[in-house]
Amino acid sequence: MDTATHMLRTGQRGALFQVNMALRDLRSSVERIGLAWSLASHDVVARYRGSILGPFWITLSMGLMVAGIGLLNAKLLNVAVPDFIPFVALGIVFFGAISGTVTEGCDTFVGAAGILSQTSLPMFTFVWRTVLRNLINLAHNMVIIVAVLVYYGFWRKADVASAAVGLVLLVANSAWAAMLVGIFSARFRDVPQIVQSLMQFAIFFTPVFWLPERLGSSRFVLDFNPFYHLVEAVRAPLLGKQLEPHSYLMLALMALAGWGVTFAIFTRTRRRIVHYL
Amino acid sequence: MSHPVSISVSNLTVRFPVYGVDAKSLKKHLARVTVGGRLGSSLAGATEVTALSDLNLQLKAGDRLGLVGHNGSGKTTLLRALSGAYEPDEGSIDVHGRIAALLDLNLGVDPAATGYDNIRLRGRIAGLSAREIEERMDEIAEFTGLGPFLSMPVKTYSAGMQARLAFAAATAVEADVLLMDEWIAVGDADFQKLAHKRLLSLVERAGILVLASHDTDLLRLYCNKVMRLKGGIASPVADIRKLDDLLAA
Repeated sequence: MDTATHMLRTGQRGALFQVNMALRDLRSSVERIGLAWSLASHDVVARYRGSILGPFWITLSMGLMVAGIGLLNAKLLNVAVPDFIPFVALGIVFFGAISGTVTEGCDTFVGAAGILSQTSLPMFTFVWRTVLRNLINLAHNMVIIVAVLVYYGFWRKADVASAAVGLVLLVANSAWAAMLVGIFSARFRDVPQIVQSLMQFAIFFTPVFWLPERLGSSRFVLDFNPFYHLVEAVRAPLLGKQLEPHSYLMLALMALAGWGVTFAIFTRTRRRIVHYL
Repeated sequence: MSHPVSISVSNLTVRFPVYGVDAKSLKKHLARVTVGGRLGSSLAGATEVTALSDLNLQLKAGDRLGLVGHNGSGKTTLLRALSGAYEPDEGSIDVHGRIAALLDLNLGVDPAATGYDNIRLRGRIAGLSAREIEERMDEIAEFTGLGPFLSMPVKTYSAGMQARLAFAAATAVEADVLLMDEWIAVGDADFQKLAHKRLLSLVERAGILVLASHDTDLLRLYCNKVMRLKGGIASPVADIRKLDDLLAA
């Protein structure tokens, strides 16, 4: 068994004490990462319980979406299908991973109200639950990615190592965003709606369904779109292109700054989150 | 175990903000910020409630404490604080021993999942490994007395059946400290007997029980000590035989 047999809780002892408590929360959530995994895999299995395909509905519905949008947009935008389908597939899958993590992030703490109000489980456990659940979904979609890359012959020039680095940056950034919106959603009930609208807005303003080249001279605006860099970090290497170095820099800084702000807010609100619920 | 089971609470004060509908609205919150904030309200629309104030409590192995008091007197807050969910604003709580809290029937319960899945989920939350749960599954399943119903979704259960499931799963973990709110009374007579046996075995293992209830018979049955809460202020811990005096006071 891995639960502590000793629990000590004391009142407010200043800012440094709160930082220590927040770090302790993080540490014990990592020590019990198996619990977050169990909760996450239960979530995925539970969602598709009783259905014939089970979690492979994720794969199937994503496959349909990729095929439909790929063929339609290739025609509308007048680009070659063999180039466009892989682009769309990667875009939808990885943008979906970001937006799924962030929108479900809103429910991170609200959805765990019952558990949080009678145990001393670490708060971070529920953040990992959200992140891991979306990674499981992503794994189901990887089937499509592999199939598309192999079918259209991109697997020879794909740079998997760089894509893996990109994926790490993508997850690191989505995770802090999920935690941040999780805290704010617990406190303010408007936040989930705001996040949902923002993500819907973002998918149209990020080159997922259309090629960035189409922007012509206005292409520089993409530099200000964090979602573009996040998607590109995984998509470009897999399509055999190189990601610009400033994208890596920007994503790394974004992860650092994001986690810094999120952790600071968590430190301040940690002991209050349970009362928000 | 290196250290005997014990609970030590000193000068515990728990305050919490109660967020009403207004306080949950981002618009109202922002409007307040832009017009300069309301005087003296650091919590912006939330009312602060002192749920427990300056509470002291020492319990040692074998103690079974009953908590009495009106609704809203702080019984559940004390149990939540002992479970580690609520942190003290002042004072400290020190618990040696593995804690099992039965405060809310819905802990980690997924109403669409089967009884078996819920036992697994609860077991994981309580700190058992997947293997330990499988090893105990038969025993837990038998204790629930739910038989074939365990393969059915929990949403089809009655309140009593849910209580059986929750109680069986929670007490399957060899807890040293059991925190319980009222609802044990929902089970039928058979279940009460089983629950009784299990609570006695907890006492034999020199655990600690803290039970909040309005039912004086139940308290007399399980507890040897009693404490009365009134508006967040606790009476001294008394022997259970003084229950009537305490209630009359």
